[in-house]
Amino acid sequence: MPREIITIQVGQCGNQIGMEFWKQLCLEHGIGKDGLLEDFATQGGDRKDVFFYQADDQHYIPRALLMDLEPRVINGIQNSEYRNLYNHENIFVSEHGGGAGNNWASGYHQGEQVVDDIMDMVDREADGSDSLEGFVLCHSIAGGTGSGMGSYLLETLNDRYSKKLVQTYSVFPNQMETSDVVVQPYNSLLTLKRLTLNADCVVVLDNTALNRIAVERLHLSNPTFAQTNSLVSTVMSASTTTLRYPGYMNNDLVGLLASLIPTPRCHFLMTGYTPLTVERQVNMIRKTTVLDVMRRLLQTKNIMVSSYARTKEASQAKYISILNIIQGDVDPTQVHESLQRIRERKLVNFIEWGPASIQVALSRKSPYVQTTHRVSGLMLANHTSIRHLFSKCLGQYEKLRKKQAFLDNYRKFPMFADNDLSEFDESREIIESLVDEYKACESPDYIKWGMEDSAEANVAAALDTKLVV
Amino acid sequence: MDPTPPTPRWNHERPFLTGRFHQEIRAPNHTSGAKPYAIDSFSRGTGNVVGSYPVSVQELLVIEDLLSALVGIEGRYISIKRVRGKDGHVVFQIDPSMDLALQELTQRIFPLCEDFVLVSQFVESKSHFKNGLVNHAFAAALNAFLIDYQAMVAQLEHQFRIGRLSVQGLWFYCQPMMGLLHALAIVVEKASSNNFSGSATLNLLQSQAKAMAGDNAVRSLLEKMTEHASTAYLAILERWVYEGVIDDPYGEFFIAENKSLKKESLTQDYDAKYWQQRYSLKEGIPSFLTGVAGTILTTGKYLNVMRECGHSVQAPLPENSKLMSFGSNHHYLECIKAAYDFASSMLLSLIKDKYDLVGKLRSMKRYFLLDQGDFLVHFMDIARDELTKRPEEISVEKLQSLLDLALRTTAAAADPCHEDLTCCVEKTSLLKRLINLKDLEGVADNTDEPEPIQITGLETFCLSYKVQWPLSLVISRKALTKYQLIFRLLFHCKHVSRQLCMAWQAHQGFRSFSMLGTPILRSSILCRSMLKFINSLLHYLTFEVLEPNWHLMCNRLQSAISIDEVIQFHDFFLQKCLKECLLLSPQLLKKIEKLKSICLQYSASIQLLIPSIYVPDPDSAFDAATTGTLKSKSKRSSFRGEQLKLASQNIIISDSIMKFEKEFNAELQSLAPILSNSSQAEPYLTHLAQCILAVGTDQ
Repeated sequence: MPREIITIQVGQCGNQIGMEFWKQLCLEHGIGKDGLLEDFATQGGDRKDVFFYQADDQHYIPRALLMDLEPRVINGIQNSEYRNLYNHENIFVSEHGGGAGNNWASGYHQGEQVVDDIMDMVDREADGSDSLEGFVLCHSIAGGTGSGMGSYLLETLNDRYSKKLVQTYSVFPNQMETSDVVVQPYNSLLTLKRLTLNADCVVVLDNTALNRIAVERLHLSNPTFAQTNSLVSTVMSASTTTLRYPGYMNNDLVGLLASLIPTPRCHFLMTGYTPLTVERQVNMIRKTTVLDVMRRLLQTKNIMVSSYARTKEASQAKYISILNIIQGDVDPTQVHESLQRIRERKLVNFIEWGPASIQVALSRKSPYVQTTHRVSGLMLANHTSIRHLFSKCLGQYEKLRKKQAFLDNYRKFPMFADNDLSEFDESREIIESLVDEYKACESPDYIKWGMEDSAEANVAAALDTKLVV
Repeated sequence: MDPTPPTPRWNHERPFLTGRFHQEIRAPNHTSGAKPYAIDSFSRGTGNVVGSYPVSVQELLVIEDLLSALVGIEGRYISIKRVRGKDGHVVFQIDPSMDLALQELTQRIFPLCEDFVLVSQFVESKSHFKNGLVNHAFAAALNAFLIDYQAMVAQLEHQFRIGRLSVQGLWFYCQPMMGLLHALAIVVEKASSNNFSGSATLNLLQSQAKAMAGDNAVRSLLEKMTEHASTAYLAILERWVYEGVIDDPYGEFFIAENKSLKKESLTQDYDAKYWQQRYSLKEGIPSFLTGVAGTILTTGKYLNVMRECGHSVQAPLPENSKLMSFGSNHHYLECIKAAYDFASSMLLSLIKDKYDLVGKLRSMKRYFLLDQGDFLVHFMDIARDELTKRPEEISVEKLQSLLDLALRTTAAAADPCHEDLTCCVEKTSLLKRLINLKDLEGVADNTDEPEPIQITGLETFCLSYKVQWPLSLVISRKALTKYQLIFRLLFHCKHVSRQLCMAWQAHQGFRSFSMLGTPILRSSILCRSMLKFINSLLHYLTFEVLEPNWHLMCNRLQSAISIDEVIQFHDFFLQKCLKECLLLSPQLLKKIEKLKSICLQYSASIQLLIPSIYVPDPDSAFDAATTGTLKSKSKRSSFRGEQLKLASQNIIISDSIMKFEKEFNAELQSLAPILSNSSQAEPYLTHLAQCILAVGTDQ
């Protein structure tokens, strides 16, 4: 069972989207609610073992670790029809069950307290796999558990499994409406630092955009969490199709990520998906050709990161890399044509300091999931405009910080004891440098950015001009 | 022919049974036939000169003699003389003392007698085993005709006995026979002088029948003869087109079987000619079949394949569509067409359905064209150590077991054919191998460059596939070799891509440092360019070459109506893929190889260099001593110091990165003119240029 991936879902949001993700995976692989393979799932050709392993009685068990500091969501899962799917040893609920109170510091501290328990679980899962490829963490960055405990986990994983990849699906808070979590900017900032330093890849799922998509694209007047979560699970499952339904390329996570992430820090990916549907909602059937799908994927409205972040200074913003995972019944000759068309129409604005083009991965669709459209597509993109999202986080943080608001809650915990708020400053510094790096990416001189040796710079410039030609 | 039984001895020893007694009589050469022997021996010997009788007696005598002469026996006054040098030709001569009018009349009848002798000689001589079925049948038909003729002679004799026959009467009664027998004699003469047999005889008969089209009686006789003569031939043909068996003891049939070509050679021999040459058309195709000879050949070939597969081949054709005759209504053509359609569709469905050709091809595509590459990822993981050895040190058995393991544990396990996959290690690099395969068109043999010295299993690893008869018809050794060539290219690209991914991963440790302006950033970006190159190349190879061509082939296979078409489509697919995968243009391939080797060198050195910078990493130093709280703070304090180190210290690193960058970019750019120059002739190179040079992107 090579190249396994262990999924860790932390906190309320993390467990909810994780749950949806596993539902989707079970559907696509023909695995029943109790983990048994359905009778119709005989086609094969898929790789269940990347995300599942088989128990002695042939049950498929997700390589998933469920963690929370309060029991509500996990109890919900344990009482749902999927209760027998998970390995019960892999569920961790804090004993006192009080949660993290939307406080990053509390989550982080509690994570520290139970590190032995949770790392035990991680180690056990890791030992149970032949050649572990990496971890996937699902969490939100705004609350307490997902952000705090998730942050702690990220640091620990990075420490202990430094050779393994860590990918996260991080839900960014809805910044359009006033949140019930007032300290959200603090939490986000502190988590962002860990996402920058301790994750190999962060798939940004912006709740603002998810809501917008639900309202505008799916015409849901008041989208529920379940509905936005199903969008998330669609994206998550689609982004792993090349691993689960192997094709010509991108059959391992590292290959998938390496092509998308140019420099170690610029690892925040946007996603787009089309055509979008929500469970039980009959969407009108559109014509889906490869070109249609690719075109739609490039449209702002289909991208799951806030549009304001993408329109501001849009002229400057550039794609660093794009991977389109096209699923379904595709005539392979269309791929070249579509790429050609997109190139001719100059629909994509790429960075100038290196070769760049849209990568395409064709992937089979699960034979067990019926859809009304022939072709669907997921875009994973590294786009410099993501920095505006971080800038927004920074701005909100600055506002709050200036007021010195709500800091008392944090001071209660060891990291911020004795009024030591240097962690905040350091985090801010790192996020600023991240924003700078993304900004630098927009410049054609990215390679020489800050280069002291002018001779080198000249050589580089000479090479660059060649390359651009 | 060897298998023919010997002619029985009595055939030679008792010439009177075979009408060859004329030879016996023939004396050891006379004075140029001016004075016939017969006259000497008989006329003088008996002393009865016919001229001494009255004319009416002479007439009776001559009728009696004529009746004998008509069946080839000498009479008292009519002698038979063999013509020298012309086998079977005899000349009849009449006693010159006979009444001139009678002589004249008699001599008019002589051609009939001569023709009879000629034909009956032919019948006797061609009935021998060695002359083949067509001649036998023809001889039998002639014989039947001769029996009629003899009956006629007998009736004439009866008339003569009852005194109702005069020479004029005889002449009159012989009239219808004369034309017929003469026509036959012409045929027979031609046949025996050219020693025709088999289809040549048939052709002769047919052409003669056509030539005599004006004479209804003769034509219908010759057509009847043709029909009789061809019965045997038809039987052979029938067995061939309905059963795929050559039942041809005398080698008359126009299809030859080369038994030395074994079907096993298909899977072993690169240049196997089984399919092309196992059965072939010979000289001497009957003229009425020339148009359909190819069809007939393939019909039997197809049936043969089915028989070789152990299938009882029964053409369930209705009786009326059996080959009956070569009548002018061209019914036989329809029969052959029907037989062909049957054989071809049967074989096609056999190969497609029972032997699941498409499934097999799909499985080959999975393994050789990496259509589902997950098994390869795993295999390269577990076989890494073995593959980095020199080819001669590699244990193929070990690789095989690792391959089996990889197949069992990945999605390939669901493929029933995965056990047919074996692995092998070639001796030479891909470039060298291509040059050795000279028959691949377009490979210029201009290189005698030495092999790269550090050739390892990664350059020489290859898969092989057990293909069973009859699928080996389609997936022959040659086709398999082509698959292998493509595989080796893809495999090496995958290897390069993996190495670059590892280099990429090595960079990931630098997240904690701001890298702007450091050589690490440069290196990251170079790594990205290289990854971009190799991934674009792979993208080109797979999505722009293999997949569309495969798609096309699959569609064409759906509509294929015969196995030959299938083979043709499949070969076309492979050839096109080879060409578009650059395997037929060594110049480009060499460039690509060079680029790949730069990538590999870069990846190897970066994986060595990066840990060397990584040593003074404060994280590990502090981790051991500090608690978690302190950790983040210590990180921060050492953060800037480390950054300085990165920027200033690593001149070696930055130098070597610069060197790689320069080399890589220069090499990549040098591809551009080559690609654009040849893209006129080879449009696919434009695609390649767009992919790997990102030509035409809006930058």
